[in-house]
This record gives sequence, structure tokens and C-alpha cells, in this order.
Amino acid sequence: MLDNLMLGFSTALTFENLLWCFVGVLVGTVIGLMPGLGSTTGIAILIPLTLGMEPVTALIMLAGIYYGAQYGGTITSVLISTPGEAASVVTTLDGYQMARQGRAGSALAIAAIGSFIAAIISLALLMALAPPFAQFALNFGPVENLSIMILGLITVVSFAGGSMSKGLMMVTAGLLISTVGIASGFSQARFTFGNVNLLGGIPFVEVMIGLFAVGEVLHQIRVGAAAPIRARFKDMVISRKELTNSMPSIFRGSFIGFLLGCLPGAGSTLASFLSYGVERRFSRNKHNFGKGAIEGVASPESANNAAANANFVPTLALGIPGGGTTAVLLGAFTIYGLQPGPLLFEQQPTLVWGLLVSFFIGNVMLLVLNLPLAPVFAQMLRIPYAYLYPIIILTSLVGAYSVSNNMFSVWLVVIFGLVGFFMKELDLPIAPLVLGVVLGPLLEKSLVQTSALGQGNFMIMFQSQISVSILSLALLLAVGPWLIGRFKSTPSDAKELTHV
Amino acid sequence: MTKVSKVVGITGICAAGLLALTGCGASTAGAAQGQAFTPKGDVTMVVPFGAGGGSDLSGRAIAAGLEDIAGVNINTENREGGSGAVGYASFLAQDGKPDHLLATETAMLALPLTQDVPFTYESFTPIMKLGDDYTLLTVSPDSPHRTCEDVVKAAGSGRVVAAVSGATSLDQIVFTLIEQEEGIKFDRVPYESGNEVVAALLGGQVDVISVNPGEVLGQLEAGTLKPLCALADKRYELEALKDIPTASEQGIDVSFAQFRGFIAPGNITAEQKQYWIDAAKKFEQTDGYKKYIADNVLQPNAVYGDDFKTYLAGNAEDLAKVLGK
Repeated sequence: MLDNLMLGFSTALTFENLLWCFVGVLVGTVIGLMPGLGSTTGIAILIPLTLGMEPVTALIMLAGIYYGAQYGGTITSVLISTPGEAASVVTTLDGYQMARQGRAGSALAIAAIGSFIAAIISLALLMALAPPFAQFALNFGPVENLSIMILGLITVVSFAGGSMSKGLMMVTAGLLISTVGIASGFSQARFTFGNVNLLGGIPFVEVMIGLFAVGEVLHQIRVGAAAPIRARFKDMVISRKELTNSMPSIFRGSFIGFLLGCLPGAGSTLASFLSYGVERRFSRNKHNFGKGAIEGVASPESANNAAANANFVPTLALGIPGGGTTAVLLGAFTIYGLQPGPLLFEQQPTLVWGLLVSFFIGNVMLLVLNLPLAPVFAQMLRIPYAYLYPIIILTSLVGAYSVSNNMFSVWLVVIFGLVGFFMKELDLPIAPLVLGVVLGPLLEKSLVQTSALGQGNFMIMFQSQISVSILSLALLLAVGPWLIGRFKSTPSDAKELTHV
Repeated sequence: MTKVSKVVGITGICAAGLLALTGCGASTAGAAQGQAFTPKGDVTMVVPFGAGGGSDLSGRAIAAGLEDIAGVNINTENREGGSGAVGYASFLAQDGKPDHLLATETAMLALPLTQDVPFTYESFTPIMKLGDDYTLLTVSPDSPHRTCEDVVKAAGSGRVVAAVSGATSLDQIVFTLIEQEEGIKFDRVPYESGNEVVAALLGGQVDVISVNPGEVLGQLEAGTLKPLCALADKRYELEALKDIPTASEQGIDVSFAQFRGFIAPGNITAEQKQYWIDAAKKFEQTDGYKKYIADNVLQPNAVYGDDFKTYLAGNAEDLAKVLGK
């Protein structure tokens, strides 16, 4: 173990590898900032440029882009309510509220600190336990994934803040949107009206950009909040109290993120949503959620970064990608003449340990880069809205076009922008709808698979211990608060309940 | 301080906008008609799937190889959507333009058979088939099956669960062909990629899979998966795979490959078509081609122009028997 670490440090600390690691995290941050341009596309486009490099150097840079993008995606979520990546959607809920209150600096700083701590925790777990974790993750088949989806959806319904029925409505609407296109496992097209653009379904990136970015701008124009945020520089720096309050959330988020990130396919979006849901129920500060609670930024940001790192567990230990971006990275392995698979740790120790140690170094770089920049970025909100709004709209539309080089995506963004506007007018929550769109295809896939495995009998879900545990947890989340309320005779006093 | 940071902020956003703009720089069409054709200006290689997938890898490999031969810039453009349908449909609009190419595979034949799309393979000009990607019938090492025949027998007498990676994917077609040939039935569980299928077998959720060798080389080497037979016409030459018998050696007469190649738009002139065929033949001699074939464990059966078209016709006929509406 110690030998491996030494080997890793001696590989990652060469001048060339340090330099490209820095380039990677910087490029990643910029890519994360762009709506539409995700780390998956960014890495795929940059792979040809790395062909002349040593494989380990190239992978260090590409991985830097991956986790760098997780930091970058936060910045726009907080400042202008435009998530750069799906994993940052939930950050907008409290991050943007903080920004409106002039606390954007604190939100960005806690995101950077949370991501850093999450990276360190998940790296330690990754280095010590990757192979056993990977083996355990293989036990998560369709049945177990279906249980996780159910848990995810139950968690999300509570996002609506006041109204559970609104949350339920919006999740359902999101799931309905996700049924457009060719059904998973079949070749029938649904709700496409003969339009080839709809065969692949309505992509969530366009939905996300439309609902959040364009919808928010239209809404702001309607309510006419013309005065830029006038915060003093002092308020832009995170306070010690905010930091200590966030710590428990950061730790919880890190572990939830790591566990979900290990599972092939589940991914960092679900991790960010789940950890937010957990905080919303169990945090001491839960009554402030949705109104600018710093824990609401700390926990999902820690979770998505931990999940990004944990994605490398199945990728390096089994040769099976944990998500879209790691799938592209695995493709790169082959181009560099490396054979991904269970023997990678044995055959390529220099590469594996060099790469893992570079994650640590890259995250230190990102923290050093992002902490001082947080107040600077936050100052962006001083730009008068007359200039800021057109820039947001332009970036959104260009970003949408760049997703698939297709005008259809641009029209989708415009349509969902209008939908987002009306949702805000009617006070309907947006995040549950987006998660419905993201989870819909995954839910349908595991549902179809579970049905096929059980030959139509869903009792198969109760034959797996893992599945039963997850479902029990979901049940607890659903009825737990209500039960606690029954036993306490003063259900109206929410502050009391948090100490139970 | 305030002033400085405001400037930093504004330039930051402008830079972001600019980068996004250049990121999607559209190609410029410079169609030259008639006489001996050479492409002028940039050429576009359309990939009808997302960045990082199998089509993207082949599109970029072809583009890089042809770039040196043709002496022009070839920009790769991902036009994903509709399981490839959007890319092919939009390629119809390039009719007659020899400065556009498209990285093709089996979706070009499978889509018209299963979906309502405005194209068939005859809408385009086939240029080159790079090679064939077959599948290996694979089980877990502790499975009782030793040969493909064992699997077929088991499926004839009881339940054998097979994972497939898509409704029109290669493994789906191969399993259907075995069923039709042997008069048996597999119980299918649908997944969405080769990687998911491998994970399902490793996790013990399914009994048997049929995967491209490139997707399991590492697992075979580590002994975590066991190959039974190759559903190919002939054995692989690669050291790691040459001991795997073909299905027909085990008495199952099934072989089916996914092809990879590239096409030009329909209605280009004979000179333009010949130009790309000649360039493609030179590409076959390069290290780039050989590396692509080796990295992805294809069988290098390159075919050009009209021969490629004949191949497509036969392949489409076989597919229709399996996927036919």
C-alpha cells in the first residue's frame, strides 16, 4: 500500500504530469461552466490531441477535465441558476437563493471546500478498497437498481418545499416527458409523431437549460428585479460559522456520493439529489432548505464530486465504466494501447497509482484555484441585468446547439424556457421535473429488466437482500417524518423535531 | 478592487461565449463539380452518434487517416439523436456534395427496417467497409456450459437468460439467428450497451452474453469470463482469441458481423466517388488503419464502392429476416 502510494507520487509529481494535471482541471472548470458542453463531450473531443503524450500523462489530464468540470458546473448554478451539468441541478435550489441574498461567495466557497473534502475521503476509500467495492457493486443488477430509483423518486418528491402534491406532479410530468422516443429494449417509437429528431427521446440537457436558464431569465424580466446585487466584499467570504455548520452535511454527502458512484450507471446526478433529500430531512437547519441554506449547497456538491471519483472504482478495478464520462475514458485506454480489465492494477501499477495520486493533486489545485476566485466570480452579479440576461440567453442557445449540432435542440430549449417561465408563474418546482426526465429512462430500463428476469413476477424484488434493504429505507423516508410527527404531540413545531 | 473584478467578470463571460461559439464552428461547403475531383476546402465527417462511442472512434480514425491522404482538413461532427436516425436523415440534405462523409455501421440498415425513417442504404454512396466486428458467446467461468452446443441444449430444455445490448443490436440479431437455426428460445433481458451486458454477466444476473471481443479482452485475460465460441466465419488470428472455435465448428451454423465503414452522400459524380475510393484504398495501407483494426479487434475485411453496396444489400436481406416489421 505504502509502496504503491510512493510510486503514485513519484509518477504524478513529475513536472510534465503536474503541468498537464493543471491544464486538465482548468479546462475542466471552463467546460463545466458552459451549459450543454459536458465533461463527456469535452474529453471525447480532446482525446485526439493527447495521442502524442505518455498514456499516464494523457489520462491524468483527461481525468482532470472530468472532476474539474464538477467544480465548474457549480459556478453557473449558483450565480445565474443555470446548471452546467446535470449533477449540479440540485445546487441551484439553495445556491441561487444564496446568491440572490448576496451570499454567492459563501456558496461557491463551500462548494469548493465540500468537493475537496469529498475528493479526499473518496480517494482514500478508492485506494484502499477499490477491488472489494467493485465486486460488491456487481451485485447491483436490475432488481437492485429499480429499488434505488424508487428511493430516488421518493426523496425527490419532498423537494417541492411546501407542497408534496406539487412535487409528485412534477416528477410525474418529468417521467412522462422521458417516455418520448424508442422504448428501452424494444424498437417501437412512442410519441414521436414521425419526427426523427424525437426517436432518441427528449434529452435532459436541453430540458435543463430551458427550464433553468431561459425560464429564470424570463421570470426575472417579468417580476422586474432590476437592481444588481450589492453585496460588500466582506460578505463574499465564507464565515467560520457557515463552515462548521456545513461539515456534517459534507461528510454525509461524501459517503452517499461514494456509494452511489461505485455502482455502474447510477451516477453522480442521483447522488447529488439523494444527498440533498437526506439533508432536507435530517439536517438541523432543514426549515431553511430552499431558501438559501448553505447545507443545501455543501451536501450535493460533496456528493457529486465523491461520485465522480467513485466512478473510477468499477472503471479501474473491473474495466467497466461507472458512467458516461468514464466510458469515454475507457475508450481512450485502448487508443493508448492499454487493456482495461480486472488485471489493470497488477499490470499497470505506475499508471493506476499515478492517476489516483493525480486526483489528489488536481483537487488541491482546484481548491487553491476556486477559493480565492469564489468572491471574484460572485462579483459577476454586480453586472447590471440588462447586460447579464442577453449573455445568459445567448450562452444557453449556443450551448444547446453545441450538444448535437442540431437546430432542433435550440427549439427544445426555447420551448422548455417558456414551460419554465409558466412553472415559475404557477409556483411549480422545477428540480423534480428535471430529475423525472433524468431518472425516467433508467427507471424504465430497470423496470423492463426486472420484469424480464422475474418472468413478469415482481416478487423477485423481495428475494434480494440488498433490494429489500433499499426499499425499507425508501419506506422509512416516506413515512418516517409523518410517524415522528404522530408520536410528538406538537407536529407544528418543526424546530423541535429536528432533535429527535 | 470592484472595478478590476468587474472587468474580470465580464471578460470571463465573453471568453466563455466565444469558446462556446468556436466549439461548434460549422463546416464550410466548397462543392467542386465535374472533371477530376479533388476536395477543396474543409471536408466534414459526420458521426451519427455521440462523442466517445464506437462510431465516433471509427469516424475520427478514418478522418485522421484521410486527412493526410487528401491533404485537407476533415472536421468530425457528431450529430446524435434517434439512435443514429438524426445523423443519417440530415445526411440526406448533403445530396450531391462530395465534401461530406459519414461514419456508418449496422444502424444504417437496421433503422429503415424498424423505424419510419426517410432513408435506406440506397440513398447514399457506399465508399469503404473497414472491417467486421463479430461476437463471442461468453459465459461465467463457473457456468456448467463448455461449448455453444451445451448452451443451445440447455435453452432447448430449460430457461437460459441472455442479456442483449439493444433492440437492433448485433447480439440481439445473433441470438435470434441461433434461435431460428436451432429451434430454441432464449429468455432475453434488454440492456443498453456492451459494457452493461458484461457487468450483468459478471454480477451473475444473466447466464450468457454475446459480445464484441474488444469489450471483453481484459476479462478473458483475467479469466473472469469464459468464451465458448465465435459467431464468425473463421477464427480470430489474434493470439488471445485464436483458440476459440467458431460456432460452425460446434455444429451451429450461425455467423453475423457488424460492419464499420464510411459513405458519401447520394448523387455524387463517378469521379468524386472514385476519388474517395482511391483515398480509402490508400488508407487501408496506413498504420492508422491497422491500429484501429487491432485496437478494436475487428476482422480486417475491407471492401470498396460497389462491392460494399452488394455487401449491404445481402446484409439488409439477412437483417430483414430477423428484424422485419
